[in-house]
Amino acid sequence: MAFIEIKGLFKTFDKVTAINRIDLEIKKGELLTLLGPSGCGKTTTLRCIAGLEKPEDGDIVIDGQSMLAEGFVPPAKRGIGMVFQNYAVWPHMKVFTNIVYGLKLQKLPKREIQESAARVLELVGLSGLENRYPSQLSGGQQQRVALARALVRNPKVLLLDEPLSNLDAKLREELRFEIKDLVRRMNITSVYVTHDQGEAMVISDRIAVMDSGNVVQIGNARDIYEKPANRFVADFIGAMNFMAGEIVEKVPDKPNAYVRTEFADKLLCRMSEHSKATVKDEIYASIRPEDVEVTADRPQADENCFKGTISNMAYLGNLLFFFVKLKNSMIRVQASHQVSFEEGQEVYLHLNPEKSMILS
Amino acid sequence: MSRGNLFLAGLLWIVIAILVIYPLSFLVIESFKISGSDNFGISNYIEFFKDAYYLKTFANTLALSAAVLITTTIFGVPLAYILARYRQRGKTILTALTLLPIVLPAFAGVFAFIIFFGKYGTLNLVLMEIGLIEKPVNFIYGFHGLVFIQSLHMLPFIVLSLSAGFTNIDPSFEEAAEVEGASGFWRFITVSLPLCAPTYLAGGVIVFLWPFTDWLTPLILGQVDFLPSVAYINIAYHFTDLHRKYMGIVAVVVSSVVCIFLFLLARRWVEKRKYTGLSKGTTSEGRIIEPGPVMKIWAYIYMIFIAVLVLLIPIVLGLSSFSRRWVFEPLPTYWTLDNYRVILTETPLLIKNSFLFSGVALAFGVIFGLPAAYIIVRTKVPGKNALDFIITLMLAFPGMAVGVSYLLAFWENIPLATHWIIMPLALFARRLPYFLRMAHSSYLQLDISLEEASEVSGAGKIRTFMSISLPLLLKGVLVGVVMFFIMAFQEISTAIFLYRGGWETMPIGIYLNWHRGMEFGIAAAMAFLMIVITFVLLLIISRVSGNVLRAAWGSDNK
Ligand SMILES: Nc1ncnc2c1ncn2[C@@H]1O[C@H](COP(=O)(O)OP(=O)(O)OP(=O)(O)O)[C@@H](O)[C@H]1O
Ligand SMILES: [Mg+2]
Repeated sequence: MAFIEIKGLFKTFDKVTAINRIDLEIKKGELLTLLGPSGCGKTTTLRCIAGLEKPEDGDIVIDGQSMLAEGFVPPAKRGIGMVFQNYAVWPHMKVFTNIVYGLKLQKLPKREIQESAARVLELVGLSGLENRYPSQLSGGQQQRVALARALVRNPKVLLLDEPLSNLDAKLREELRFEIKDLVRRMNITSVYVTHDQGEAMVISDRIAVMDSGNVVQIGNARDIYEKPANRFVADFIGAMNFMAGEIVEKVPDKPNAYVRTEFADKLLCRMSEHSKATVKDEIYASIRPEDVEVTADRPQADENCFKGTISNMAYLGNLLFFFVKLKNSMIRVQASHQVSFEEGQEVYLHLNPEKSMILS
Repeated sequence: MSRGNLFLAGLLWIVIAILVIYPLSFLVIESFKISGSDNFGISNYIEFFKDAYYLKTFANTLALSAAVLITTTIFGVPLAYILARYRQRGKTILTALTLLPIVLPAFAGVFAFIIFFGKYGTLNLVLMEIGLIEKPVNFIYGFHGLVFIQSLHMLPFIVLSLSAGFTNIDPSFEEAAEVEGASGFWRFITVSLPLCAPTYLAGGVIVFLWPFTDWLTPLILGQVDFLPSVAYINIAYHFTDLHRKYMGIVAVVVSSVVCIFLFLLARRWVEKRKYTGLSKGTTSEGRIIEPGPVMKIWAYIYMIFIAVLVLLIPIVLGLSSFSRRWVFEPLPTYWTLDNYRVILTETPLLIKNSFLFSGVALAFGVIFGLPAAYIIVRTKVPGKNALDFIITLMLAFPGMAVGVSYLLAFWENIPLATHWIIMPLALFARRLPYFLRMAHSSYLQLDISLEEASEVSGAGKIRTFMSISLPLLLKGVLVGVVMFFIMAFQEISTAIFLYRGGWETMPIGIYLNWHRGMEFGIAAAMAFLMIVITFVLLLIISRVSGNVLRAAWGSDNK
C-alpha cells in the first residue's frame, strides 16, 4: 500500500503542458527523487503534492486521504513540510521565530514549542544560532534552517525542491549525505527534486526520471543506470554510445537480436525489457563507454569484434578517455589508466552482447 | 584610478559646490543674522522655540505629516496590493488614473476641490437640493481638507513603493508560510507586509515630508498655521521687515533640518534591512492572483472610487475654465471662452517660459546626471559616496529652501539672479536626485561586460560611452528625462521666489491669477491647459516606452 499515490495528474500553464497525466506511488518511509532536465515538470509535480498548484485533472492521495477528488485540501492541512529551492527563510525573523512559525499557529503550549524547536535545531546542527537573523548565516546554515522549519511539525511528508542547488559543490556533497541520513533516521516519506543525477543516485531509494511532463522510468539507481528504459534515460544518466541501426533478426527464445549499423552488418545486442521493438524497426544499439572492451590483439570472442583506430585521447588520472573510429562511427571508450594506447594506434573492439542494449 | 575619472569627479564637485553647498550655506548664515545690527547669534532660533505661535505651527505641521502618512497608508495598501497582485481587466488604466496626481500640479487639485467640495460647491448644493442636509457641510476648509488634498496628491508615492515591494517579494516566502499553515490574512500581516517595510519607508518618508514643503495648499485653504506657509508669508510678504524675514528663514532652516534628519533616519533603517533575498527558480512575474468574484468587485469599486476623486480635478477645472461666475450652482450655467481669451494674451509668454526653463533644466540634468551616475556606479573615485549622498539629500530639502537660498546667494557676489538662467538652474538643482536615481538604476542594469567587450575591441572610454553605454542607457533614461521635465514644468515652490517680471512660468501665472482676486476662471483655464500639456507629454512617452504606467512613474516597478 503506497503512502502517496499520484493518479493521472495533469497540469497546464497557458496551454503549455507542464505535467502530462503522470502516475506515481511512493511507499511509506521512502525517499523518492524526481529527476529530469530543466523544465520537465519536477517542480510542478512537487508543488501539486504540496497543494501550491491546482492540477486540472487527476488525484493525489496522501496516507489514504484524497487531496483533490473530495475537494481541494489546502497546503496547511496536508501534513507536509517543504524545503524551497531558495530556502525561503524569512529574512525579517530570527532563526527561532522562523522555525516555530507553524507551531505557533497550532496554538501549542509554549514549553512544547520550545522543546520541539530545540530538538530540530539539534537535529540539523544549528543549536546556539536561534537568535541570529538569516542574513547572519551562511548559505548552508540557511538551508539547515529551512530543513528544521520543514521538520519541526513532524510532517507526514517532506518535500524538497532542489534544496542544494544554491550551495557550492563541496557543501552540496556533504549535505547530500546529511539529508539522507536525517530522513532515514526520522523515517519520513520524502519527495526530492533535483536535476543532478549524481545527487539523485546518492540520496534516493528510488528515482523517477521525468521528460517533458512524463515519468519515463522509475527504479533504484542501479536499475536506471543499467537498464534504462529508453534513449532519453540512458543519455541523461551517465554517458552512452548510441549507434543508429535497424533490427534485422531476432534470436528465438532469447532476449537478443541482430542489428545492422553503419559499421557492422550484424551486431548482436540484448533487447531491453522496456523495448517492444521488432524486426525492421529503427533503433539505437547502445553501450556505455566503460563497457567497451579494447585490446591491441584480436580477442577470443567470435562475435561483435571490430578493428578501428584510436583518436582524441584524454588522460584523467584514474581514467583514460578516447574514441575509436570504426568506419564513420566514433565509439567513446572509458578505460583504466593502466592500459597504454596511443592516438592513431589500430586496436580491436569487443562490444559485449550482454552490455549492448537496444534502445528506442 | 584614471585621471579622466578624477577630473570628471572634480568637475561634478565644483558644480555641486556652486549650486548646492554655497547657496544653502547662505541660508544658514542668514538665519543667524540679528536684525538691526551687524551681529550674528542664535537669538532668532531662541525666539522661534520660545514663541508659542511658532511652536504651534511646528506641532501642526508634524500632526499634518502624520495624518497624511496614515491616510495614504490606509488607502494605499489595498491599492498597491491590487496593483501588484490581482489579475483584473482594466487594471492598468484604473491604476494609471489613481496614480495620476503625481504628474498633476499640486495646486490644480486645490482649486478643483474648492469648487467641488467648497461651502457652496457642487456637492453641498446637490446634497441640499435633494434634502439630505440643510446647511452646507464644511468638507474642505480646515485640517481635514488639507489632509484630504495632500493625501490624494501623495498617494501615488505610497502605492508605487508598496507595490514595488509586493511585486519583488519572492513568492516562496509566502508559499512557505502557506505550507506552515498561515491563513491568507495572517500571511499578509506576518510575511508580506514586513518584507515590504523597506520600500514602504522609502516612499513614506517622501510623503511625510510633503507638508513641510507645501506652503500653497494651506494658503489657498486659508490655513496658514503651518511651517512652510508661515515661512512663505514671512519671507515673501515682509521682505522689508528684516526681523520677520530672518524668522521666516529660521522656519525654513528648521523645516530643512527636520526633513533631513527624518530622511537620513529612514535611509539608515532601509539600508540596514534590505531584504535582497535570493531569487532563483521562480517566475519573475511574482505572484499574480486571480481574485474571487466578490473580491474582484470590491477591488473595482475601490479603484473606481479613487479614480473618480482624481478625475474630478481635470473635469472640474475644465468646466470652470469654460464658464463664468460658477458660484452657487452645482454646474456652470454661463458658458464662455472669455477665460481663454484673457490667458491667450498672457499665456504665450508663460508657456514659452515654462518650456524654456524646464528644457534648459533638463539639459543641465542630463549633462550632469549621466556623468554623475557613471562616477557613482562604475568608478572608485574617492568621495563618490559623498557625492551621491549630497545629491540624494536634495530630495529632502523643501523647495522653498532652494528658492530662498538662491535668492540670497546669487545676488551680490555671483549675480546670477538678475538673469533668467537662475530659474532653470534652481529647477535643476531641486530635481536633480530624480534624474540621478533614474540614470543610476539604468546604469546598474547595464551589464558592465557590454562595455568591457567594446574596450577589448579597441574602443577608448569615450568612444565606448558614446557608442555602447549611451544608446543602451537612453532607453532607460528616457522615462526619467520626461518625468524630470514634468516635475520641472509644474514646479512652483522654488520658482516663486526667483521670478521677476517677464519670467513667470505657468504655475506662477496660475498662482498670481488666483492671488490677484480669486479669478478662478482664469486660473482654472491655465491649470487645465497645463494638465493638457502634461497629458500630451505623457502620451508621447507612453508611445515610446509602450506602457502608460511605466511611462508615468519610472521603471522601478520592474
Ligand atoms: N507559473 C508558471 N507559469 C507558466 N508556466 C510555468 C509556470 N511554472 C512552470 N511553468 C512551465 O511548466 C513547465 C514545467 O516547469 P517546472 O518548473 O515544473 O520544471 P522543472 O522540472 O522544475 O525545471 P527546473 O529544473 O528548471 O526547475 C515548464 O515548461 C515551465 O515553463
Ligand atoms: Mg524546478
